[in-house]
Amino acid sequence: MESLGQITTVLTAPTAAFLAAQPPWENPDLFFSQIVAGMATGSIYGLVALGVVLIYRSTDVINFAQGEMALFVTFVGWSLIQADVNYWIVFVLVLALAGAIGALVERTVIRPVEGGPVLNPVIVTLGLFVIFNSLTAFIWAQGQLPKGFPATPLGSQLEVADLGFARITQHQLMVLIIAVAVMLALYLLFNHTKLGLAMRATAQNPVASRLMGINVGQMLMLGWVLSAMVGAVGGILVAPILFLDLVTMLRVILFAFAAAVLGGLDSPPGAMVGGLIIGVVQNVASTYSFGPVFFGPELSLPVALLVLVLILLVRPTGLFGRRAVRRV
Amino acid sequence: MGLGFWQIILVAVAVAAAVRYLPVLPRRWRVLASVAVILIFACWMPFTVGTFKTSQMATVATWAIVAIGLNILTGYNGQISLGHGAFVTIGAYTAAILTDNKEHLGFIDASAWPFWLAVMAAGVVAAAAGFAVGVPALRLSGPYLAVASLGLVIALPPVLAKYDSLTGGRLGIRVPQPQPPELLSDLINRDQWFFFLALVTMALMAILAWLIVRSRWGRAFVAVRDSEVAAMAVGIPVARYKVMAFTVSAFYGGVAGGIFMTTIGLITPESVSIILSINYFTAIVIGGLGSIMGSIIGGFILVFLPDLSTDAAKVFFGAQQGKQLWPTVYGAILIGVIILMPHGVAGFVHRFERFRPAHVAQAAKGLPGAMRRTLQRFSWAWDIRPGGRKGAGKS
Repeated sequence: MESLGQITTVLTAPTAAFLAAQPPWENPDLFFSQIVAGMATGSIYGLVALGVVLIYRSTDVINFAQGEMALFVTFVGWSLIQADVNYWIVFVLVLALAGAIGALVERTVIRPVEGGPVLNPVIVTLGLFVIFNSLTAFIWAQGQLPKGFPATPLGSQLEVADLGFARITQHQLMVLIIAVAVMLALYLLFNHTKLGLAMRATAQNPVASRLMGINVGQMLMLGWVLSAMVGAVGGILVAPILFLDLVTMLRVILFAFAAAVLGGLDSPPGAMVGGLIIGVVQNVASTYSFGPVFFGPELSLPVALLVLVLILLVRPTGLFGRRAVRRV
Repeated sequence: MGLGFWQIILVAVAVAAAVRYLPVLPRRWRVLASVAVILIFACWMPFTVGTFKTSQMATVATWAIVAIGLNILTGYNGQISLGHGAFVTIGAYTAAILTDNKEHLGFIDASAWPFWLAVMAAGVVAAAAGFAVGVPALRLSGPYLAVASLGLVIALPPVLAKYDSLTGGRLGIRVPQPQPPELLSDLINRDQWFFFLALVTMALMAILAWLIVRSRWGRAFVAVRDSEVAAMAVGIPVARYKVMAFTVSAFYGGVAGGIFMTTIGLITPESVSIILSINYFTAIVIGGLGSIMGSIIGGFILVFLPDLSTDAAKVFFGAQQGKQLWPTVYGAILIGVIILMPHGVAGFVHRFERFRPAHVAQAAKGLPGAMRRTLQRFSWAWDIRPGGRKGAGKS
């Protein structure tokens, strides 16, 4: 738990990287690079937020353990890579493990509290958060932390990719490509397969779906599997950038929650858009000190949260969320 | 060394339960008498269990105040706040600024306020903050409110660290702690004095909460929680009562913050961590939503559950591993309790209260027939005829 105590320190760390840069019109290259790099970070937030949204829209549960589950499987991946397993095999194994953990969690601890008081699943996921965090600490924190995690073999973390208008690292480019691929795969799954149709039907109206012969329990479990896998992709992609530590995913998950809420908790594209907005704003603001000009760099985090709250006040269910209409 | 700490707690609960349920007293006095038993034990405890446990008990009482307030907001009014740590911090800083013997802002002079006045002021300032948060919170609900309120407790520490002329920056404020009054100074030491301060405050705040939830306000809170539309239809000003719940709840947080600061003698931006703030919420759900007793149990959970899970982990995994694996056990206990007691510990106790020996007798009378009746009773689960689910809705 001491590691959890550092959370505030970690959250304020980006402000330490505060730079006084030239104004954007004098160095457009830097400006666009910062935007694209922000999109890369933002797409990772978006992936984790997507995991949160996938679960929320089918079961009305906010999974606070999303980040820690991803952290756990990413550490497993680190161990495999230390054992000289091929990167892509590790990638597949980690996703499979994440899916298995997602299924197990849904079956064993989420299902018993469903249909009970509405806040009980929240407590269960908070409990899972603590469990996964402490297991990770117990298994991997004996050696040195943080641990380095390799970038994908296709894009190194050190070399630069020149897009013409912007220069980012190759890994950031790969992150963008993989995030788009994941989004595309999910879009195809949900909108062009019978399974996806069944999952959407379950999310919308479980009773009617059951009457139509859909195995609702299985669909809910599948939702957890998909969500854990998407989260694991986020974990693997963020690990080379932030290094693997016990608090790595804590920082990601808080921005991911912000992204999910910003985009609307029941909208998968919203999660991605929310992630991109937060990533870009965070990157650009820490480079150019727009907000911090008035408040100083220490306050960039509160200012960012203030902006989030202001957006929520205008659109209480996020940018793309459906307004909840309750029947009386 | 007589009885250990947990033995005393067990005896206290057993005696209180006996007074509550055995027909030795007229019915109307039983609840009061059981509370009196608990209070007598609580007053006796600091003189037997040692300094450390006494200060832990003071913390239990302090966090129980926060839990009672949060329960008014979440349990009775249905608004989720994960950011109540912010109100505790605001209250603690208010009390610290008023008692630290320094001049602030030109109008708070150097002479320290008496601590009880400072604690009251802490409650009032936190209540004002709660009002300021409660108005925008009207727009949000459910998970959106949860995440936004979490933002509150994340955003506060950097702000406090920044404006250091008032708050002392990252190092916080250190204040001289009050001593036990002269009259009692040979009877009790400082830790015992703090414990009694916290206990008396908690008792007063619990009585206040009891009065609130049984008043017109309390009924309005519950009506708004159960259905805003229905509440509106019977003429309850929904917005006013939601803001009021936030304000009252923040007042409790502020008072607890004042007591907390007094017993520690120091407040920093990170004294009330984000994790603690989320744990307030966990504690009231596990203790029991919509129950003052549940909130006080929540205070115990906040302080002692980590200790208990460490002990359990040491039993399961051995001394060395147990020390590192205790959060795993802690999480498992949270999950296990919420699965076994969906309405929290207080809900479990209330169910137990309705349980009579007659129930057992009836259940045992010819099991096969009883099983058939049970199946019939739950037949709505597969009966899809219209009206088949009558009475099977929300309980």
